[in-house]
Amino acid sequence: MAKFMLLAFRNVFRNRRRTMMTLFMVGGGVAGLLLVGGFFSFMFWGLRESTINGGLGHIQIFTADHFNRDEVRVLDTGIDNWRQVAATVKTGGHVRGVAPRIEFYGMVSNGDKSSVFMGSAVDPDAESSMGFTTHFASGRNLDGKPGGEVEALIGAGLAKSMNVKVGDGLTLLAMTSDGALNGVDVQIVGIVVSGVAEMDARSLRITLPAAQRLLQSDRVTNLVVGLDETENTDQVSAELSPRLLGLPQKLVLKKWIDLATYYKQVRSLFSMIFIFLGVIVFFMVLMSSVNTLLMTMFERTREIGTMLAMGTPRAWIVLLFMVEATLIGILGAIVGLVAGNMLGILLNHSGIHLPPPPGNTVPMSFKVLHVPSLMIGSSLLVIVSLALASILPAIRASRLQIAEALSHV
Amino acid sequence: MDEIVNVEAVSRRFPLDDSPAHHPAHSFVSALSNASLRVSAGEFLAISGPSGSGKTTLLNLIGCIDQPTSGCIHVDGVDTSKLSPTAMATLRREKIGFVFQTFNLIPVFTAAENVEFPLLIQGIPSGERRERVAEALESVGLTARAQQRPDLLSGGERQRVAVARAIVHRPSLVLADEPTANLDTHNATQLIDLMHGLNRRLGLTFIFSTHDARLLEHTERIVRLCDGQVVSDSSSKGVSCG
Repeated sequence: MAKFMLLAFRNVFRNRRRTMMTLFMVGGGVAGLLLVGGFFSFMFWGLRESTINGGLGHIQIFTADHFNRDEVRVLDTGIDNWRQVAATVKTGGHVRGVAPRIEFYGMVSNGDKSSVFMGSAVDPDAESSMGFTTHFASGRNLDGKPGGEVEALIGAGLAKSMNVKVGDGLTLLAMTSDGALNGVDVQIVGIVVSGVAEMDARSLRITLPAAQRLLQSDRVTNLVVGLDETENTDQVSAELSPRLLGLPQKLVLKKWIDLATYYKQVRSLFSMIFIFLGVIVFFMVLMSSVNTLLMTMFERTREIGTMLAMGTPRAWIVLLFMVEATLIGILGAIVGLVAGNMLGILLNHSGIHLPPPPGNTVPMSFKVLHVPSLMIGSSLLVIVSLALASILPAIRASRLQIAEALSHV
Repeated sequence: MDEIVNVEAVSRRFPLDDSPAHHPAHSFVSALSNASLRVSAGEFLAISGPSGSGKTTLLNLIGCIDQPTSGCIHVDGVDTSKLSPTAMATLRREKIGFVFQTFNLIPVFTAAENVEFPLLIQGIPSGERRERVAEALESVGLTARAQQRPDLLSGGERQRVAVARAIVHRPSLVLADEPTANLDTHNATQLIDLMHGLNRRLGLTFIFSTHDARLLEHTERIVRLCDGQVVSDSSSKGVSCG
């Protein structure tokens, strides 16, 4: 068998120019997939981390009722004893911090104009301790210290529509947990940009105590848990679930992936695009390799006839062609892996930025991740493609009429 | 002596692709017509005749790489007309050695590897293969050129490698189709002498085709073909004229 493999290996380099062209084609396919897949992976990674660090966190804790029914009154499905829950969660491994949140909505007015807002009440210290980032168009973050004016951050779109700037005052109106209307004056300390225009047109953020005063409730909507690494999410979630069972309120854990709808949609869309590209590369390699291998077969007709005349089993001829094609696939994959990774390194150091995607306002870095599973997958794709491409030439070679093959010129 | 080949009233016709459908009688060409031949083990036999006389067709039929349209052929006692393609391949692999006009060596293999190939496909262990390859190359005087690839060998050397490849698996029968056609007179004479020597020394049966009159002088038995028919046989036995 070693000799047989040697024959296949030497046959690969028989027509060096043609083999080089095939290797470039196969390698180009692999490199292309690595670059596109690596860029998509970078995009997924960036979107994942920005989604998590933008405030989603790795895990969120809600009451079970939050998902079972709509709130009749503000915060009536909120967490009562959230300080106890937060303390329990903080004792777990890999937990960087726990931040309470209240999600609410209401009207915001500057005296001349009113608009709907989607409010979020946060503990600024807890949020920053978990590394959650806020992008400011102007101003600063909320101050967690009690007392003084109620501070607010508003989205850039909302600030524009309300015609306000940092230092201006606004009035917030919202329903309390008792169903009454309550209001609070706030001072804008910062204008934020989330990257999503629709979000910036409605978002408003105040501190947790201010929101609890406005809504007349000590409850919070949820607790956001930040971890040291995103990869630890499943492990921490599995460890936390049983520990929350002993608490008075029935609570549920939601991992970031369950809540990141936009991330999932983007990933799903781009995964389909990548699969489509993979299919194109697969057929491109397949069709051009069939042509090359058929040419090889015709050139070696007399040699195949000689081998068959000597009594070589026809299955050996099939195997020989398939092994040769598979070897080309393996060599092409190696060429592609080297080229793809080197180009990836070059691109990563080029500092190229892409224009913001639709609905976003921030330009995107053009970077490529080196993903081992992508390297294995792309390599297997072209190797299988080459092996399949060899079937037709291999079968035709094995079915040659010996007498005709021997007289082939 | 034992009979190694028995060709009985064999005909071989080839269909013509461009023959008119309404003339079935003209839809084929007859390469061999009612030919008969008996060859004993250890014979050194030349098949002679002009181009198109059916020499290659007859060798192909004896070598089990083609099947007759009618008649039957026995090789080493086996009726080849009743064999499946796989059984024919096995027969060729084990009992027949081939030498071709254009040498037909595998260009990416060395001389030794080319000679080794018939043993490889028989599944003979590597140690034994090495010994037999060395023996075969020695018998054709090419031990020193064992590691050269065919493109570095002269025409005469290539054909001697082909002979070594044909005898390495100790076949009952060696078939050579115009083995000297691509060689100059000196190399051709050397090759015939080599084949003759192997025939005498090892008792191998050689059947080769040629239309080179100079080479026929070295041959004890000459079968002449003309228009697909055996027209003469220099030995008294087995003569059959169609």
